[in-house]
Amino acid sequence: MMDNKRKYVIPGDVITTGPFRPEQNVILEGDKIISTTIGISEIYDDVVKVITLTGKYIPKIDDLVIGKINSHTSLSWELDINSCYVGFLPAQDVFGRDFSAHADELSSKLKTGDLVATRIANFDRTRDPLVTISDRDLGKIDSGVLVKISPSKVPRLIGKKGSMIQMIEMATDAAVTIGQNGWVVISCESPEGLLKAKKAIEMVNEKAHVANLTDQIKEMLQIKDNES
Amino acid sequence: MTSVSVIDELKKIQILELLEQGKRIDGRAFDEPRKLVIETNAIPHANGSARVRLGDTEVICGVKIQPDRPFPDTGDKGLFICTAELLPLSHPTVETGPPQPHVIELARVVDRGIRESHMVDVSQLVIEKDKSVIGVFADNVVVDYDGNLFDACSYASTAALLTSKTPKWNWVDDKPQLVEGGETALPISTIPVSITMGRIGNHIIVDPNGDEWDSMDARITITTDSDGNICALQKGGSDGFTQDQINQCGEISVRAGAKIREILKEAQKGSQ
Repeated sequence: MMDNKRKYVIPGDVITTGPFRPEQNVILEGDKIISTTIGISEIYDDVVKVITLTGKYIPKIDDLVIGKINSHTSLSWELDINSCYVGFLPAQDVFGRDFSAHADELSSKLKTGDLVATRIANFDRTRDPLVTISDRDLGKIDSGVLVKISPSKVPRLIGKKGSMIQMIEMATDAAVTIGQNGWVVISCESPEGLLKAKKAIEMVNEKAHVANLTDQIKEMLQIKDNES
Repeated sequence: MTSVSVIDELKKIQILELLEQGKRIDGRAFDEPRKLVIETNAIPHANGSARVRLGDTEVICGVKIQPDRPFPDTGDKGLFICTAELLPLSHPTVETGPPQPHVIELARVVDRGIRESHMVDVSQLVIEKDKSVIGVFADNVVVDYDGNLFDACSYASTAALLTSKTPKWNWVDDKPQLVEGGETALPISTIPVSITMGRIGNHIIVDPNGDEWDSMDARITITTDSDGNICALQKGGSDGFTQDQINQCGEISVRAGAKIREILKEAQKGSQ
């Protein structure tokens, strides 16, 4: 039996029975596959998964996340990554291989409250995720405005092949960095563009479930264009 | 997890930049408090109660009035004690357990503001001198946190006290005996209003919200009574104020306090 239809499910709902492979946010109990969160269930090939509609960010290796420095030890920084886990940024990552815990002061490079674009380097659920900034486009964020949206709405904000975010960037001349953890940094030369981009992103967050969202956003951005 | 909230640098810079342009992050004027909504008699079984919303900060205060033993040195005066507590649901950083220093400070500042204004005339709350007096306990619970708990708790306590009904006790057989139907209003002599101001850079702002609270250099809470006299003051934060700034804060507290006092009076009238 193949049931490709998407369904809204709540925790405890039996999605299907049969020889399926349980993936994200489902558990296998006997031959029943049961949802563990509120979301939309999807069945394709032999895989069953639930896309969550709510909830905190669960780290995944290679995700780009925006973190906020909360504190540091002599060897690493602790980052708030909008998750139930704390992100760890080792000092070697910033100071290089010749880092010395005696000679180098961590707060000279990144201090409490700084925002950092990072990538999840390693994570296995039993330990807090390790993050890195040694890659292109990663590192301290010096300017812009932080907007917080629900992590489950991030794919909607990006859109198919980045269509949604490209549209917002084009219309407002803003540069938008989207963290998979739902933290988004907008930087823009003009304050109007910044406000418009912020409004658009907040609109995506609120109306992620609406079918003709793209048209609504387009309309909102264009109406504003005519006004200004 | 850490238990202190850390504001991100970008927002801090943005707040300061806006202040330089004469604007605040939520669009208010520098000396404008957030919208104050007071709902009295929020807890039907309490002797007095109020639910106060100051912007997104929300506090519930309940007043309990009962006979108590007086302190040995003040046998001719009733008791007034004000407490405060933060619920873990009020903010992600709040944890259960013994109160943190800033919560202890909160309770003390609110208590002092009301006590030193002599709002409740405790000399009228005596059942039998040196033996039994009436105790008034105002307990504040913070339900939602978005900065400036000092003022929110102070308004909640004041509103709850203004609308409290105290039962009557007689001294019979060496113990207080409740008189049925003898409820009267508390002996109130003035309405204290606390105004908390923060300093960010060289700017003084009234009633800082959560983000402003996290980026403040220093803060000052000034309580004034109905006559516009300053009766309590608390300075906090790691930095200081200049003398001119202190004077400015004093003036603001009287001016802004008068407006808040009208809202408190309205709330009192509305409950009668």
